[in-house]
Amino acid sequence: MRNTWIFYRKEMLEMLRGYKLLWIPVVFMILGIMQPISAYYMPEILKMSGDVPPGLLESYTLPGAAEVMAKSLGQYGVIGLLVLALSAMNSFAGEREGGTAELVLARPLTPLAAASAKWLAQLTLLVLSLGLGAAGAGYYITLLIGPLPWSAAVSASALYGLWLMCAVSLTLLFSACLRAPAAAFLSLAAAGGLALLHTLLPRPLRWSPAALPKLSAEALLRQEYTSYAWVFPVLSGIALIVLCFLGASLLFDRNKLPRF
Amino acid sequence: MKTMDLSLLWPLFALQGLLAVIGLISLARARSVRGPKWVWAIIILLGNLLGSLAYFTIGRKE
Repeated sequence: MRNTWIFYRKEMLEMLRGYKLLWIPVVFMILGIMQPISAYYMPEILKMSGDVPPGLLESYTLPGAAEVMAKSLGQYGVIGLLVLALSAMNSFAGEREGGTAELVLARPLTPLAAASAKWLAQLTLLVLSLGLGAAGAGYYITLLIGPLPWSAAVSASALYGLWLMCAVSLTLLFSACLRAPAAAFLSLAAAGGLALLHTLLPRPLRWSPAALPKLSAEALLRQEYTSYAWVFPVLSGIALIVLCFLGASLLFDRNKLPRF
Repeated sequence: MKTMDLSLLWPLFALQGLLAVIGLISLARARSVRGPKWVWAIIILLGNLLGSLAYFTIGRKE
């Protein structure tokens, strides 16, 4: 426990020195704020971009607060996912290629403790970034568009965060056995594959963690809490994270030496 | 027609500026980056969000 805490502090220090703890939250905030502002000023943006067919500007209606919030969160599904995967890819791989893995795994730090510190550090980064980004988006939405149902916005952000954490966990798993770029590529491909499978077979795969982004949008748009559609995706998402965690601690122990 | 209200937009510009400043500090202090440093400085300064993103994800060596 104490070892995990010490290793966690080392991870956070490394993230700060690598500026990740600064630039990733800033990027998430920019992405979150941009959506409500561009929705609000859409007619002006269109007008400035040149010739617009006459009826278009008049027919533009400002989307609802919940809809814009869902779109803001949707921004994190592409650029946010990419940024998080690229920043997590070095987590184990950097340790191995840099030659510190052997030192780290010399007693008394167990691979399980090292992996939990890494997971906690990534979770901290994700919660910080997504929290600030969603708060920024929510603030601008209430300012420009209208009152936002806050409890729905919070649960939608949490559902989206769980999906992002699944993708980060995949990156960490691959990072424990592959080189960093391969880990990022494979985890993005795996997350993309899960999402694609879910869009192709939404009914049989409604328990898949890839259903989380859709459920997040639905939590905002329909605001229904009576249906328990989120139970299985949440459970399978947590199961995926735990499996990746166990797999990574096992693989990290076996792959201590750099690859050539 | 709504006029673009600066009091609404400045936090966005401030965040973009902050991101560029973090990028430039990181670039100045890095021992080496992928490609020449001055090119990355131009990309960060002129590339807005995507320029800084490209530097942090592609340009930086861990």
